[in-house]
Amino acid sequence: MKPIQSLDQLVSHVKDLRLNKRIAVACAQDENTLGAIDRGVEEGFVTALMLGDEKKIREKCAQQGIDSSRFEIIHIPDDRQATREAVRMVKENEADVLMKGLVGTDQFLKAVLDKEKGLLPPKAIMSYVCAIQVPAYNKLLFVSDTAVLPFPDLNQKIAMVNYSVNMARKFGIETPRVALISAMEKMSEHFPAHSDYALICKMADRGQIRDCIIDGPVDIFLACDKESIEIKGVPTPVNGEADVLIFPSLEAANAFYKGLMLFAGGELAGLIQGTEKPIVVMSRSESAMSKFYCVALSCLMA
Amino acid sequence: MAITKLNQMFDKLKSAGKKTLVAAWAVDSHTIAAVSDAIDRGLIDGTLVGDQSMIEKVCKEENIDIKKFTVIHNPSDSGSATKSVELINSGKGNLLMKGNLSTDKYMRAILNKENGLMDQGAVLSHVTVVENPNYHKLLVVGDVAIIPLPDIKQKVAITNYLIQAAHALGIEKPKVALLAASEQALPGMPACVDAALISKMGDRGQIKGAVIDGPLALDVAIDKESANIKGVKGEVAGDADCILFPNIESGNVFYKMNTKLSGGEQGAVVAGARVPAVLSSRGDSTLTKLYSIALAALMAK
Repeated sequence: MKPIQSLDQLVSHVKDLRLNKRIAVACAQDENTLGAIDRGVEEGFVTALMLGDEKKIREKCAQQGIDSSRFEIIHIPDDRQATREAVRMVKENEADVLMKGLVGTDQFLKAVLDKEKGLLPPKAIMSYVCAIQVPAYNKLLFVSDTAVLPFPDLNQKIAMVNYSVNMARKFGIETPRVALISAMEKMSEHFPAHSDYALICKMADRGQIRDCIIDGPVDIFLACDKESIEIKGVPTPVNGEADVLIFPSLEAANAFYKGLMLFAGGELAGLIQGTEKPIVVMSRSESAMSKFYCVALSCLMA
Repeated sequence: MAITKLNQMFDKLKSAGKKTLVAAWAVDSHTIAAVSDAIDRGLIDGTLVGDQSMIEKVCKEENIDIKKFTVIHNPSDSGSATKSVELINSGKGNLLMKGNLSTDKYMRAILNKENGLMDQGAVLSHVTVVENPNYHKLLVVGDVAIIPLPDIKQKVAITNYLIQAAHALGIEKPKVALLAASEQALPGMPACVDAALISKMGDRGQIKGAVIDGPLALDVAIDKESANIKGVKGEVAGDADCILFPNIESGNVFYKMNTKLSGGEQGAVVAGARVPAVLSSRGDSTLTKLYSIALAALMAK
């Protein structure tokens, strides 16, 4: 398979595979969600299961010029009940993807994380990976964790690496280059993440982490810019052509991706990982295209 | 050329500029005979610090020509240690040796804050070079004698001493194995965690002049077949020149095993002071003492 290098290629790939995934949207009376779902249905890879207040869903659709007859609408006016039902449908294989609509993140996650009825297997680590496209880089960047884990510990970092590598491989990147990001590449006691990074690298050397080339700590320059490697004289197998960037904290990852969206013409497709099935949670301020890409990504990963 | 047997140190020393050994409280036959032997073999020049009459008496009894030494009279053991350190600090000696005084007094003179041999922040440690009939080359190991449970900074210092010793033996780019009970990077084992960190410091050039890998279990470090079976790649596995032990117990057992159960030999120095220091005990064989002197002379600047 030829590696997917842009988010439009992701969409064509999903179409080429003739995928059609059932997405259960919790509290679907949400203008943020409707457009992306509608386009997924239009492109043929989404079957939309809209849970929520039917009247409001139809109203919102009408406002946006969306034909609501293309959706299967399941009328549950209560937010909490609609969310729990959406989770149940995914868990019991009546849907392939869960998506958050107009419901508070807290309430949504409460249903997802419910020990008995939720979607997170025992001891599994929930994290967030997004594929980012920026004109200044010649391929996609898989970035984690931009949304869920504030200060990932060692095990969480390992999970982030594995989720990102798994996603990159689904994009046809057989042996992704993973950069463990910091402010500098030297080992230093002042940066607690460095000790985790050194362990992760050694785990990869010893085959405890597979299917990737990994190095860290490295800064963004060494990770993504070959010239910097020559200038700094730090040989790294990531070689300035990273596919995956793992950040030491949510603040760093979040600032990085939002900076790219705002100042560098970036688009993204992101997904919650670690759950039994993919979960789409989008920020309202994402562009319409990014929202659509999230839906396409969830169909690829489902 | 890299030395692969301990006695090859002698030839290497003969071709180098001769260094001066200063022996503190060298008033017993063991010490004087060892220094005399080293001088006779052309390895070093020797200064004996101690009670002049005692030194004369031993030389007479042992039939050793006292003229081969520079003798500096000092009537007490700790006074001799202080004097020896002073000689080194004033450039009149390149390596130090312990005579018939307690290790305590000897180390106190080295560690003295004002007049000792330690630079600020330096880590005092111990390097042993082991020759074992079942290994194809020498093994430079540490710390088997001084630091009980080295922390990460001390481990880095010890690693650097091992590398310096290996360089002195002519091993250009020594392969350093950071030992643990497993070659897997196991977060629950502190030895594995430190090893991974030091390994990365090697990758980043923060420790120079060597190829460093760890954690490695002993079999994987020194036996190619084990390394292959366990699928551990890299230059170090199966061919280590140096071994960093995670604690004094593992190192101590290893080197005693080498001499007592597998017919090995060894030489050792205290590293980390301004000059290498020999810390042999009376129980050491004549050959071990000689190897230790030779190793210290090779490491001396």
